[in-house]
Amino acid sequence: MSLVGRLPRRGGLHSLAAPYALDALDGAERDRFERHLRSCDRCAAETRALSEDAVRLAWSTAAPAPAALRDRVLAAVRTTAQEPAPGRGRPARRLPPHVWGGPPTPERSRPLGRRPPLPPFATATAAAALVVASLFAVQADRTRAERDTARDRAREIAHVLAAPDARAAHGEDDGGRGIGVVASASEGRAVVTLSGYREPSGDRVHQLWVMRPGAEARSLGLFEGDTPLVATGLDRSATSLAVTVEPGGGSHRPTSRPVLQLTLESVGFGE
Amino acid sequence: MEADELLVLVAGGDQKAFEDLYGLISGPVFGLVRRVVRDPAQSEEVTQEVLLELWRSAARFDPRRGSALAWILTVAHRRAVDRVRSARAAGERERREARRARLPAFDQVSEEVEAGLEREWVRRCLDRLTALQRQSVTLAYYDGYTYREVAERLSLPLGTVKTRMRDGLGRLRECLGGAA
Repeated sequence: MSLVGRLPRRGGLHSLAAPYALDALDGAERDRFERHLRSCDRCAAETRALSEDAVRLAWSTAAPAPAALRDRVLAAVRTTAQEPAPGRGRPARRLPPHVWGGPPTPERSRPLGRRPPLPPFATATAAAALVVASLFAVQADRTRAERDTARDRAREIAHVLAAPDARAAHGEDDGGRGIGVVASASEGRAVVTLSGYREPSGDRVHQLWVMRPGAEARSLGLFEGDTPLVATGLDRSATSLAVTVEPGGGSHRPTSRPVLQLTLESVGFGE
Repeated sequence: MEADELLVLVAGGDQKAFEDLYGLISGPVFGLVRRVVRDPAQSEEVTQEVLLELWRSAARFDPRRGSALAWILTVAHRRAVDRVRSARAAGERERREARRARLPAFDQVSEEVEAGLEREWVRRCLDRLTALQRQSVTLAYYDGYTYREVAERLSLPLGTVKTRMRDGLGRLRECLGGAA
């Protein structure tokens, strides 16, 4: 893009600082503005100041939260793992390209009358935490590539969760190790979370596979700790997901017996 | 203990600290979410999501960037706005919206007037804004409209709305000043 072509757009973007601080940008403009902020320190400082002004408006709205909410939240907290502090996390690992998925599709809203069953806890909260991670991508102390990755992933996750036919499944063994899936058959996507598993020893990794009748297992990507994995391009004929332990970098086909397997029937697949 | 100190403990996995933090912030978070989302059940749901996110990602809080409460409310506000927009897109709120549309936006603030110094103070400061500044700011912040929607509702050019929002926030800062 030529410089001449970019200048007016930058000026235009700059005027979005106040709407941004008030959360008055739509999704696409918000993303564009956040990208702009990363390359413009002055704008970032100004936007931060405007955001501080905006949050003062919240002072006038406090209201006691329902008592039942307290019990639910505190109970949830007791069983929900936390994210490590930024910077202390594992270095980003190269994943097969299809794990990142295609370009984000337009957001779809969920009809209010018919909510999908609640996704398993670990999945829901991990996904939600990533959404927040992306929210604060501008402030977070991470490299640009990591922020882009986290944001793309958060968008993918939000998209799956918002699909009208999103459904959840959860499997757990006696040791409390489990797999959670939120999947949308119409989107061909699923968000998959492992919980309670220790990282495999050495250089080895947990790899996710999808099984179809009469076909070889197809890799859906490698897990990084308890970070949800977004699987795209899932065929309706997919019958189950499996996780194996593989050498670093993953394998083309499973080289060991699955450590766990989850049928996809209950989330709208396996036709 | 203040929210900032508690949040540091929470980031270290301290569940008791989270309980204390809950006591401090659940009211502000729930109130803000309900102000934007309106629907009580959905407001609870969004509040629950926000508080769990807070537990999960407390380690991301950076005190150099501002106060814990401001950070938490910023997250809550964005979540609430996202929710109310998808609800609107789904058309579920249209009828109720139509009934409310007859009232000017600012009057909606008074729906929940209760005692409280801060509440009173914000209201007084909002009163000092020009009508267009106030409407631009409150339609966006309290009602979750995009600046394009605000421009449409107020029949103003987009540029004017952006300027009113900026000026409105500036005046609010002067008025509420050192109270952060």
